[in-house]
Amino acid sequence: MINKNERTKKERIKKRKELANTSSLLVIALPGIIYLLINNYLPMFGVFLAFKDYNYIDGVFKSPWNGLKNFEYLFKQDAFMIIRNTLLYNLTFIVLGTIVAISLAILMHELGSSKRVKFFQSSLLLPNLFSWVVVGFIGFAFLNSDTGFINNTVIELFGLEKVAWYSEAKYWPVILTLVYLWKMMGFHSIIYMASIAGIDQGIYEAAQIDGASKWVQIKSITLPMLKPTIVILSLMAVGRIFYSDFGLFYQVPMNSGAIFETTQTIDTYVYRGLMELNDVGMSAAAGLYQSLVGFIVVITANAIVRKVNNENALF
Amino acid sequence: MVKKIVLMTVILSMMMSIVGCGGGASTGNNTNDSSTNSETDNKDSSNKGESYETVVYSYATFNNIPSNDALSSVEEEINKITRERIGVEVELMPINITEYGQKVSLALQGGEQIDIFESLGDFNTSVSAKMAYDITELVDQYAVETKELIGEEILAAVTKEGSLYGIPTYKPYALTPMVIYKQEIADELNLDMSQVKSIEDLTDVLRTVKDAYPDMTPLVPVSPGDSGIYRTVEEIDFLSDDYLSPKGVLQGDSLTVVDFYALPEFMEKAGLARQWYQENLILQDAATTTSTAQELMASNNSFCYIASYSYPEEDTAASLSSQMGTKVGAKRIGEAYLDTSSISALTWMVSSMSDVPEAAVKFLNLTFTDPDVVNLLIYGIEGRDYVLDENGQALYPEGEDATTVPYTAQISVGTLGNFFIMHPSQGTNEESLAWEQEQNQIAKKSPAMGFTFDSSAVKTEYTAVSNVINQYLAVISTGSVDPVTAVPDFIEKLDSAGMNAIIAEKQGQLDQWLENKE
Repeated sequence: MINKNERTKKERIKKRKELANTSSLLVIALPGIIYLLINNYLPMFGVFLAFKDYNYIDGVFKSPWNGLKNFEYLFKQDAFMIIRNTLLYNLTFIVLGTIVAISLAILMHELGSSKRVKFFQSSLLLPNLFSWVVVGFIGFAFLNSDTGFINNTVIELFGLEKVAWYSEAKYWPVILTLVYLWKMMGFHSIIYMASIAGIDQGIYEAAQIDGASKWVQIKSITLPMLKPTIVILSLMAVGRIFYSDFGLFYQVPMNSGAIFETTQTIDTYVYRGLMELNDVGMSAAAGLYQSLVGFIVVITANAIVRKVNNENALF
Repeated sequence: MVKKIVLMTVILSMMMSIVGCGGGASTGNNTNDSSTNSETDNKDSSNKGESYETVVYSYATFNNIPSNDALSSVEEEINKITRERIGVEVELMPINITEYGQKVSLALQGGEQIDIFESLGDFNTSVSAKMAYDITELVDQYAVETKELIGEEILAAVTKEGSLYGIPTYKPYALTPMVIYKQEIADELNLDMSQVKSIEDLTDVLRTVKDAYPDMTPLVPVSPGDSGIYRTVEEIDFLSDDYLSPKGVLQGDSLTVVDFYALPEFMEKAGLARQWYQENLILQDAATTTSTAQELMASNNSFCYIASYSYPEEDTAASLSSQMGTKVGAKRIGEAYLDTSSISALTWMVSSMSDVPEAAVKFLNLTFTDPDVVNLLIYGIEGRDYVLDENGQALYPEGEDATTVPYTAQISVGTLGNFFIMHPSQGTNEESLAWEQEQNQIAKKSPAMGFTFDSSAVKTEYTAVSNVINQYLAVISTGSVDPVTAVPDFIEKLDSAGMNAIIAEKQGQLDQWLENKE
């Protein structure tokens, strides 16, 4: 009896100690957690709106049920095209984004901590601070077929025919990927730089003594050490694979109909389709559909990661 | 383990706050703004001691949103009239035109008080989403003058299944397609614009301009992706669709619903646009440019655009000249045609959740019958926000303009209440008012006048079809693609998106309506 009591007491003390250790971290995270609760968990209770034929008199609770009718429009006609676009763009962004962000982070890290690094960092981060509307117009200044920079300099230089960029669908996968990388890479690379900075310098020193070249150091030390961060970030990106960055896909192509074939994603499709109808239930259905698929994908991806290497799994 | 979770949460919440700022900010902030606004306003009115029912009047403004002080001074002036005449106090809620629809529907969903709001082309959805109060009886009781003024025939356009859901703004309804051109260039090249009677006549004019000024693109779009030419397909009843995105329509006296894009006229106009595009007569970027006609006209390399206006040529030209800072002329290239949506596009509705519907209807009545109320709403306070010249026409006080006076909603003129009882703005021709009122009576009217379409049965098809239209209409209307291949593609895609279901549903409802009418 006494023994058992003592053990629980000990456990309790241990737990309290652990809490004391982490409490400061918890306090730091508190605003974020509260934000998360209010912004991401509270609205969840409205999820049933996706199954309702919403009207203003009956309100949220009393509007009649509608079965799966709100979801139908997501699977009409262009469903294949928009799902393909959303998935392929996101996959490209995850793969290319990670590669570019890590390369940038390593390059930056190798430069040390001089003033020019600070300058490079800031200028890489700058595009991330622009709103998509501004980015859209910067793109327009480049691609405009009459007065655009590309048509008037680059194309002319090579003596090629002017291109009507905003009506040729085939160029847009490349354009959108470039714009995305340009805007987001500075921010992503910062996360990796922080991880690299956390790697024990002693390991590099030991490797240098053993005669490892820079390339070998990167390949055999930096990359393996970054693996957990890469996995976590990729898994989180995978969870949002059914969402697309609305600003990127709506503002940058300037809402040009001729290039929908390669620029229409689930978010823009829903927005354009519901502009006129303004239907609450149908918008809720789109949101639910996206998060449900995202949830399934992220659970599957995590399960696979756990199978391969338990340490790296998210949960 | 705990450490791992905490770390994860920190990263997650960091990411979230960044993502959140990008995406949700626009809607979130807006609701905050308006709620704080109304809170302070509520406080103001509760301090006044006496208790009157308060009506919140929400209107779209094209001008800057006035400061709270300026707003409450105008409110106070209006309240002086309303307290005495109808025993009601008013709270004004001007919302910027670009976010009006979104803000109103968010506010109503959130249970915020808005008693009176306007439709901006979405009367139909407002009614089918039950946002609008059935005011049939209230109007008979509290707004008899307005009902007489506007007349049964026009009110029929905002009546659904015997219930009246709103009062359309009283203004010139009949929109006429016109070409707006720079007078200076027309004079210089001796162009006889009076001979331009249809859109086909315009081609030669554009060519002449192009020959004289090779660097110029004579025709610019009126708004992004809208060259204006499909407006000149005559006698079309859009049957409650947005006229910028027509679907099933009626043509002329026929009572058979047809696909707008399958009409031979549409193909014809598309061919004309293509010809213009190939001859470089229309802006090559017309499908994607985000500049409006006004901005494009202000630059030196354009000559004209096509749009629909409801005022006589002379007045349209005068008012546009002052807005654009260059003298323009206007020439009609089609006939006015009235259908249900041209009337219901701007309709004042009482919110279905209003606690004070009677008071709301009483105030609505004043906006149609009391010149002082309308003038306060549009021009603000006399002497401070505007002055009257010797002809009784309103203009800004000396040294002031739209951006410096404390309150003005001048560009919203013709969107609220009764247009014909306000002070005319400077430069208006008094005779035109009579002409406009007459036009409302004599313009050719659709045989389905008064029919409104309820799209709720074909919502799925509507979204799919809207997306297809978004994809094709702009590029076809600006000539950026060859209609010979693009139009058949377009029609085929519309069909597979469910256009036929929409047409069938429309026809069904129309037949039903005709039957009930007899």
